Amino acid sequence: MHYPWWYVPYLTAPMLIAGIAVVHVLVAHYAVGGGLFLAFETQYAYRTKNRAYLDYLRGHAWFFILLTVVFGAITGVGIWWTIGLASPLATETLIHTFVFGWAMEYVFFVLEIVSAFIFYYYWGRLAPKIHTTIGWIYAGSAWMSLVLITGITAFMLHPGAWPEHRTFWTGFLNPQFVPQTLARTGGALLLASLYVYLHASFKVKEAALRDLIAARSARPALLGAVLIVLGGLTWYAFLPESARAALAAAAALNVMMVLIFAITIAVFVMLYFGPYRHPGWLSPGFAILLFAFGLAAFSTGEFIREAVRKPYIVYNVVMGNQLLVDEVRDVHQRGFLESGVWTKAWVASRYPQVMQDGKVAADRLAALPEDDQRRVGEAIFKFQCNNCHATRVGYSAVSHLTRGWTPELIRSVLAHLNEATFFMPPWVGTPEEADALARYLASIAHPRPRGMEPELGR
Amino acid sequence: MDVTQLLAPPGPLGYPAPYWFMAVLKVLGFVLHLVPMNLWFAGILIAMLMRSRGEHARRFSDRLMNQMPIIIALGINFGIVPLLFLQVAYHRVFYPATILMAWPWVSIVGLLIIAYYGVYLYAIGLREGKLTPLRRASGWTAAILFIAMGFVFTHAFVLMANVDVWPGLWERTSVAGAVRGTAVLLGEPAIWSRWLMVFGLALTTTAAYAAVDAGMFAVRETEAYRRWVSGFALRLYSLGILWFALAGSWYVFGTWIPEVRALMFNAPLVVLTALTALSPGLVWLVLAAQRGRITQATALMTALAQIAVLALNGISRQVVQNAELRRFVDVTDAPLNIQWSPLVLFLILFVAGLGVVAWMVTQAFRASRQPQPARR
Repeated sequence: MHYPWWYVPYLTAPMLIAGIAVVHVLVAHYAVGGGLFLAFETQYAYRTKNRAYLDYLRGHAWFFILLTVVFGAITGVGIWWTIGLASPLATETLIHTFVFGWAMEYVFFVLEIVSAFIFYYYWGRLAPKIHTTIGWIYAGSAWMSLVLITGITAFMLHPGAWPEHRTFWTGFLNPQFVPQTLARTGGALLLASLYVYLHASFKVKEAALRDLIAARSARPALLGAVLIVLGGLTWYAFLPESARAALAAAAALNVMMVLIFAITIAVFVMLYFGPYRHPGWLSPGFAILLFAFGLAAFSTGEFIREAVRKPYIVYNVVMGNQLLVDEVRDVHQRGFLESGVWTKAWVASRYPQVMQDGKVAADRLAALPEDDQRRVGEAIFKFQCNNCHATRVGYSAVSHLTRGWTPELIRSVLAHLNEATFFMPPWVGTPEEADALARYLASIAHPRPRGMEPELGR
Repeated sequence: MDVTQLLAPPGPLGYPAPYWFMAVLKVLGFVLHLVPMNLWFAGILIAMLMRSRGEHARRFSDRLMNQMPIIIALGINFGIVPLLFLQVAYHRVFYPATILMAWPWVSIVGLLIIAYYGVYLYAIGLREGKLTPLRRASGWTAAILFIAMGFVFTHAFVLMANVDVWPGLWERTSVAGAVRGTAVLLGEPAIWSRWLMVFGLALTTTAAYAAVDAGMFAVRETEAYRRWVSGFALRLYSLGILWFALAGSWYVFGTWIPEVRALMFNAPLVVLTALTALSPGLVWLVLAAQRGRITQATALMTALAQIAVLALNGISRQVVQNAELRRFVDVTDAPLNIQWSPLVLFLILFVAGLGVVAWMVTQAFRASRQPQPARR
């Protein structure tokens, strides 16, 4: 509304954020856990003078750099790109609140990059003590970047006392900060071990070395799993009530919750009976399966974390329909088209007859021919609903959701949008605007499936 | 249409630091980013072209491409700070401009991944001594993609400062008021001239870096190689200056609006304009003076002089950007809500981080004197 809305057919623009964010976290967590693995294991290999293990670790460090420094870093940039495009108001809010948090993260990023390259490219030329110190500098910096970004993403789910105080620290040290830091640290440890297994199962031919790698990486993986459970439980305990309710109410999230528990248990059992108790089990097939389970659990977890925020982008601060919570009442009274920078300009350009004294006049809007009202309704849909709903086909397409609805029913649902469904934002706009939107929605609603007559239940 | 009506209202949160502080960090971060960015923007193309031009040219090409993965990693990271403060102070123009051209803008993510892996593939080929056709092609692809990405960046920043072209673009590329994200301004001379000007500047940075590398890092190279580099760097720098001057003249005299010209060609800012235009001449003189013999001291002088050139360029760009935007919005005028403790903590971490980086680089520098062990 304050910014132009980017119409992405079928998918909706915010789903691009989700797409990039999910692949990013799968590598970003490895960037943290893998750093801890390399530092810890390199120190161990030096201490035990295990040349074969050191050689393996050198090869793994190369794989690690290729994946994290390129793909991990650029998909991280990709998140910045997409949030600015698809969710500018929330990004504006976050950047004005946490710019110095991100600036601190930048310091740790630079430390990560420099230490990672020196750690790898000067392998064998640095004294073992200095080499491992640089490895630990990487690991510490990577973990600190995890802590910093977690404070900000956790804020989006539960900003705690921030709406009252509006300071950096009340926002950063929010109720979700510790639970999510625990869970993400655990995730980093677990995921790193899965990457190690995948890499080692293909690269290491010598059975004794493969067994050593399997056994040594099992312990951090199991610790990671425990931290995930601990973080997950406290995450649930400190969820805002609306998020807990969304988790219980949405069937898709129910399935996902069951899925994530089932996969996590499967991963835990496989780790325990596999690499921990029987290191010899580590084969490419076993590693691929374990890795696939790990990725599935992670992706599901990230999806749930995003989904339970509805109807907010930032809980109690920015609504899913690109409005600040603080301005909803005012916009409702003044009108959605009138309050929006781009919506008002669009009306003024397309329907100058609707403008009166430089403002969108509700009665003139209502006097427009029906076709034009539908077009106005389409514009309202784009700016107010397209954040979460595609039009005719695609992600949560509204034509399917309103299948068979009469115009009266659509109008009635609009009037009670957040009352009927608590994870929907409230309808924001004048009654005339709601009429226009209802006309548009009715025009694209699919008919009720044949054989299902609505009269049956009356 | 009054185009200022398309600007979002000022955010309720205010600036977390004084504008001048953010502008300093933005320019400082941008200058740090410019060094590696210039090297991938023009350097990869030069390296690819030079590979078949004799023994020393090939050596230069190999050295630069071997270093390129690290240069790119640093460049991407150095880009974070200017991007952060750009979003804080310029969000009202930055977001709409990039949303209007959303698809080209977001394509940078995919192009960068392809280009970066292309560079790695090429560098791995060099390391293994096997530059297969695929690896050569990946090097060329990276060179072209980085130049193309430069165009997209220039397009975004020209669009950001020219709010008056938004309504036309919006009209052409929207559906029910929502933008399709396909706005492209191919007929805008400011984009072409600025993009070419930056390429000229990038040529000079690549030339200066060639001399810096030969004088400071190429300790195992022959004296003949260093002599060749000294001549090559001067020739490339001359080309860069010529290119920069031609494209820069087109940009300044052909596309600057009267307000910007009045500001930049009158006291006191005319001094900045003159220094920005003439400063590459200083580096050219330093390169000319070391022709035939590059030493560590002359290489250091070259580096510092080129950083000064880039810094002047960065400062001028900031001044011009604000002057262009002043027609529509005064970015310096926003309520302040200073976040003192995070700000101070960031500065402490920044200084401590620099110390840790210095320690690590020192260790690496010492280690570089040791022979490299063979890889299995």
